[in-house]
Amino acid sequence: MLVLSYVLGRLVQMVPVVLGVVLIAFLTIQLVPGDPVRIMLHGRATDEVVAAAHARLGLDQPVPVQFARFVWNALHGDLGTSIIQQAPVTAIIAERLGPSIFLLSYSALIAIVVALPLALLSASRHGRPVDHAIRIGGMIGFAMPPFWIGLLLMLLFGLTLGLFPISGYGRSFGEHVVHLTLPSLTIALFLAPILIQSLRGSMLEVMTADYIEVARAKGLSERRIMAKHVLRNALIPTITVLAVNIGWLLSGAVIVEYVFSLPGLGSLLVRAVGFRDYPVIQGLALVFAMLVVVVNLLADLAYMLVDRRVLRA
Amino acid sequence: MVSAKRARRMHSRCVRLAAWAAAVSAVAIVGALPNDAGAAEVNEGGTLIFARPDEPLTLDPFIPADNGSIWAIEQICDTLVEADATGEGLEPGLAESWEVSADELVYTFKLRPDAKFSNGEPVTVEDVVFSYQKAARPDGTYAFLFDPVASIEAADDQHVRFTLEEPYAPLLSSVSIFAASVVNQEAYEADPERFGVEPVCSGAFKVEEHSRGSHTTLVANEHYWGKDEEGRQLPYLDRIEMRYVPESNARVLGLINGDFDVISTVPFNQTGSVEALPGVTLEVQPMYRLDYVYLNHAKAPIDDEKIRLALNHAANRDAILQTVYFGYGETPNSYMPKINYHCETVEPLDFDLEKAKALVEEAGYDGTPIELQIDTGNAPFRQIATILQQGWTAAGLNVELAEYDVGTAWGHTETGDYQAYVSYITSDLNDQDELASLQADQTGSSESFFSRYKNDKVVDLLAQARASSDPATRQDLYCQIQETVYHDGYSIPINFVPAVNAYQDHVQNWRNLTTGWWWLRDVWLDQ
Repeated sequence: MLVLSYVLGRLVQMVPVVLGVVLIAFLTIQLVPGDPVRIMLHGRATDEVVAAAHARLGLDQPVPVQFARFVWNALHGDLGTSIIQQAPVTAIIAERLGPSIFLLSYSALIAIVVALPLALLSASRHGRPVDHAIRIGGMIGFAMPPFWIGLLLMLLFGLTLGLFPISGYGRSFGEHVVHLTLPSLTIALFLAPILIQSLRGSMLEVMTADYIEVARAKGLSERRIMAKHVLRNALIPTITVLAVNIGWLLSGAVIVEYVFSLPGLGSLLVRAVGFRDYPVIQGLALVFAMLVVVVNLLADLAYMLVDRRVLRA
Repeated sequence: MVSAKRARRMHSRCVRLAAWAAAVSAVAIVGALPNDAGAAEVNEGGTLIFARPDEPLTLDPFIPADNGSIWAIEQICDTLVEADATGEGLEPGLAESWEVSADELVYTFKLRPDAKFSNGEPVTVEDVVFSYQKAARPDGTYAFLFDPVASIEAADDQHVRFTLEEPYAPLLSSVSIFAASVVNQEAYEADPERFGVEPVCSGAFKVEEHSRGSHTTLVANEHYWGKDEEGRQLPYLDRIEMRYVPESNARVLGLINGDFDVISTVPFNQTGSVEALPGVTLEVQPMYRLDYVYLNHAKAPIDDEKIRLALNHAANRDAILQTVYFGYGETPNSYMPKINYHCETVEPLDFDLEKAKALVEEAGYDGTPIELQIDTGNAPFRQIATILQQGWTAAGLNVELAEYDVGTAWGHTETGDYQAYVSYITSDLNDQDELASLQADQTGSSESFFSRYKNDKVVDLLAQARASSDPATRQDLYCQIQETVYHDGYSIPINFVPAVNAYQDHVQNWRNLTTGWWWLRDVWLDQ
């Protein structure tokens, strides 16, 4: 029950956050010069064509009216019609949501699987060569541009070894897993060092805490102390770091989507902004806001698994 | 009786193949011969996997203006008259023949009796009239092409009649525009949104799957009217998978890996390595594209012709051709792409810094800076701007580069809030008139394509050229126009840019048209 009311409370808090994000996106894009109809027609548009299109799209209305209409329709599950694609925004976003979420989950999974043991090793061998090696390796992975890593992975695993396809998304779940391995690895190479850094840092901090000394004094084995006490307490900040990065990667994975020709949300957003496709931009702002809030909610639920005290706070 | 033969003659007369590398021209000429597959053995069937950098945003012919959509629609839909296998001429499409009245005011098109839509229904005169009327409606995106058309109506159940207000030489070419594709009226009106994904047209291919952001799969339209010279049903291919692969390295790697049969838009800096691949052919074809710097004649100091000419003389186009385009293309002597009435005799504004300096001095240049706009992230255009800036600075001009995202830069261009902008223009039509007028006719809605160029004599010449049906007269008029506009320093033309594709050697008959898209109906796979 406690968990349920907690979740409900968080969902209610979501409403102003999402509305705020959508409003800011709506106003910002209005401030930027450029007209979707004119950009699309690349100079061929006569004023009559533009005026007719504006009337059809409701762009001739005052901005507050446009916003109110957008919110009203959104409440009814209608995000409007894309100006340049002439298809419902909900359909366009829905088609791309799957690949994006798949990509991020897969990347997060790889990053966690890599980061946990390395961070443990790094923290427990603090200051030794193995710790330095992990930190330097992480820095290199983090510093390499994803664009370049992506191409290197394509060359190595795609062309030379022939293990993975180098572009596209595939048609079935199995194909998705195979197609998304290299892109996910590209993101994980960037994400894992952040997690290692954060986890190692907080583990080192926890390791000097009094209660760890107490545990040691009680005669618990080092292994048990690390797993049960240190890691568990150190995980909370790391979950936050992961949640923040996943929120960012929802739209920030655009380079990886681009290199691997994936139909994700990031590339959709970039194009929508380029064309000033207002309904798609607003729809994406709404979806991103909701996803970020949901990811943070999941992170909070994950804290609970790690530490029940969160519930009482 | 005006048949396809005359149209072809009209359009081939003035087309001279460019001075690309000799080998390239040879390939282009051989490749451009229509019907060269007819005599040979062909393997029918198979799937062609084709990676391109743009995706179709919609397949509804009445909406788009982007090449991602247009070049796909060209494979799916027909018009009464169509661009031929080279792109430079016209040939019968859904109309098997047409007649022009003596006063050149009435065009009567005879519909092919065997033409069917991809759903098996016959193409009727009503469908044709519906489609052309829709395209010509004032709010149609390409309606300006039909401005001189007074009415479009059914003459009987086999003929469609276009009545003009005044003689209009480019009519046949205008009729070939994708934006006037003949659609199945019933399917279109039932659900236009669905039509954008599953169009019902009569072209060589129909849509099997349109997956936005990923691929569009086309399959042979079994009802297509086209046959090859030996009477075999076209197209030869069963299926074309058009993959959307925006990243150029990914396209090249996919070609090397054998994932793709053909890739379009090979970046110039990779042409060398692609050409060296075994079993791969690099195709370089002239097309109707001009990369150029837009100039805004309404802004100081560009309002001064001497400054505009100085900008031209200080532009080191050879350096640009070599470093940015790796030698592919041709230095232009025109303000517009090289279309059917291009004039080779117009003297180019050559690279001459001394002349440029003298012109700047003569103009009494006061140091007003010139801002050169570039699209953010467009590396080749940025390189062009840098080379131009060097020359212009050497000629004594103050130049600043400014990067904007495409939408913003285009917004500035349309509102006239710019001085110079590195961009380009392409033509979907093989008649000189569309771009000649769009770019230089101040009475058009784009104010001479945002240049704010004004020249009453040019407006008059354009009107004459449009109304004349005699090719020799038109050629003469367009030469005068090209000479005048170009030497008024209309813009800074940079390069006639070719299309560059690469394909595996088992792909036969692959051809890029000058209009930009590809002639796919007689492509076959030798494997």
